[in-house]
Amino acid sequence: MGVIVVKNLRREYETSLGVVKRDKKIVHAVNDISFEVEKGEIFGLLGPNGAGKTSTIKILTTLLAPTSGEATVLGHKCFGEEKELRKKINFIFGSERSLYWRLSAYDNLSYFCDLYHVPEKMKKDRIEKLLEMVGLEDRAHYRVETFSKGMKQRLQIARGLVNDPEVLFLDEPTIGLDPMGAKTLRKIIKQLAEQGRTILLTTHYMLEADELCDRIAIINKGKLFALNTSEKLKDNMDSSMIEVDLHTLREDTVSRLKGIENITDVKVVTDDLGHRLKIECRNPRQIMSLVNEQLYDNKVKSINMREATLEDVYLKIIGGEQSA
Amino acid sequence: MLSDVKVVLASCRLQMKQSFSRSMFKFCILAYPILAAITFYLIYAGQNDQTLISYVFLGTAITSMWSSISFSSAGDIDRERFMGALEVIFCSPTRFRMIMFGKVIGNTLLGIASMFISFLMVTLLFQVPFTLTHPLLFIVSMFVGIISFIFIAMLLSGLLAISRNTRVLMNCIDYPVFILCGTVFPIEVLPEWVRPLSYLLSPTYVLELARMSINGITDIRLFYYHMLGLGIVTILYLLAYLKFYEIIDVKARKEATLEVI
Repeated sequence: MGVIVVKNLRREYETSLGVVKRDKKIVHAVNDISFEVEKGEIFGLLGPNGAGKTSTIKILTTLLAPTSGEATVLGHKCFGEEKELRKKINFIFGSERSLYWRLSAYDNLSYFCDLYHVPEKMKKDRIEKLLEMVGLEDRAHYRVETFSKGMKQRLQIARGLVNDPEVLFLDEPTIGLDPMGAKTLRKIIKQLAEQGRTILLTTHYMLEADELCDRIAIINKGKLFALNTSEKLKDNMDSSMIEVDLHTLREDTVSRLKGIENITDVKVVTDDLGHRLKIECRNPRQIMSLVNEQLYDNKVKSINMREATLEDVYLKIIGGEQSA
Repeated sequence: MLSDVKVVLASCRLQMKQSFSRSMFKFCILAYPILAAITFYLIYAGQNDQTLISYVFLGTAITSMWSSISFSSAGDIDRERFMGALEVIFCSPTRFRMIMFGKVIGNTLLGIASMFISFLMVTLLFQVPFTLTHPLLFIVSMFVGIISFIFIAMLLSGLLAISRNTRVLMNCIDYPVFILCGTVFPIEVLPEWVRPLSYLLSPTYVLELARMSINGITDIRLFYYHMLGLGIVTILYLLAYLKFYEIIDVKARKEATLEVI
């Protein structure tokens, strides 16, 4: 059984429209989602704004009640058994909020240690280690309001670890960070996973999800559209491309290429310099030798391969649908 | 139990540090009692010392303390919500009411400081001697009054945790007390149909008891009636707050009121 179990989860919000005559409308933020996350896994939840990612995380972190369905973390129900669960989990929402800006970094961590009942004799040592881990040991006694955005987000990571959680929820942890800051945070997230923590994260950055996540779920408008490892999601895509530049092109080459399994389309672009074949396919590495065979009597200048990226997968799945 | 005490103390410390770093709070604690004392003194200038003590001393003290305890405790929920800290403290393993209790205690200590500033201000600036006929009864009345204010503040903070219309509510709770509880004028000048509302609010009793302790008690039964009244409304606030915090946990999560929308 997974560390996180979500079964047929639904969350609805009631919104009102109008000033005098208020029409009530039900919004399905999470609409019958199911997935499981194993111990030590980094699980990514991808989707456009309003897809239901944050609502899902809030239900799992006991902040929001589900309308129906099941949500358990470490065997505890997220709504009804939160007393036991809250000791073992923590969460970090992206952005600079969730901290007391007028207090120092040390005072912030000290207060959250108290809220999580960290024993007094362990507190000082833990705070110092956490500040060192996020590279803020020199700024421990400075007010948070004097910190840069990246420093605040790193302090948030430290805050999320005060209770040494078994499961950590990260909602867009690198949002708005510069490349160096984002890289540092990704390094910290990897270290946490190596320590055996289970991590569920949401992000809008595909490269980040690809780099960090063991498995990825793509959701939109409250529904789950895909769930697999990044590699398998990409393997199932037909948006990989092999581009071949030729001096000469035999007439039957295109039809022979189209006959190869996993090739979905072949386009020819001709100009003064020669011909370019754009071969859309799945698993380009597997079919490369077959493509080469069919090009034997053409004068080939160069061959380039571009594999499908997670962004291609995401865009294909989310499609042209307008984000909610 | 020990960890709860630790949380209350930590929340109290945090609250006082936070509050004192806010200019608005410094104004409420330091400048407001001074301005209120000047206003109240000018209204009652030329009256005898008893009236000056009853309305300038006590009026200023109670309004300053009320603003600090209830008004600030209500505002804190709004601030925590906008900082994004409300969600974080709400889903920690500590009971939310213990965290809020610590914060209200912090505001109470600052409110007591504010009350002393107003006493000092009136004594030094206007040379009004602060004399007490029954010092012990005065201390007891103020002590019970402060406890009552704490429970009101807890009740309000709970109410504001499940409502996003915090700012409106904050202002709704501040001024009625000045009008209904006899801070600036005796409640006898209010229409009779309004007075039952006055007796639902503990500042009314606190002011009556304090004035009796200052001016002398002609009918001890009346003093006890007011003390009983204060005790009853305080217990009602306590019961309401305990019940209220039980339902907050479910309601705030069902209606998603902990976040800023």
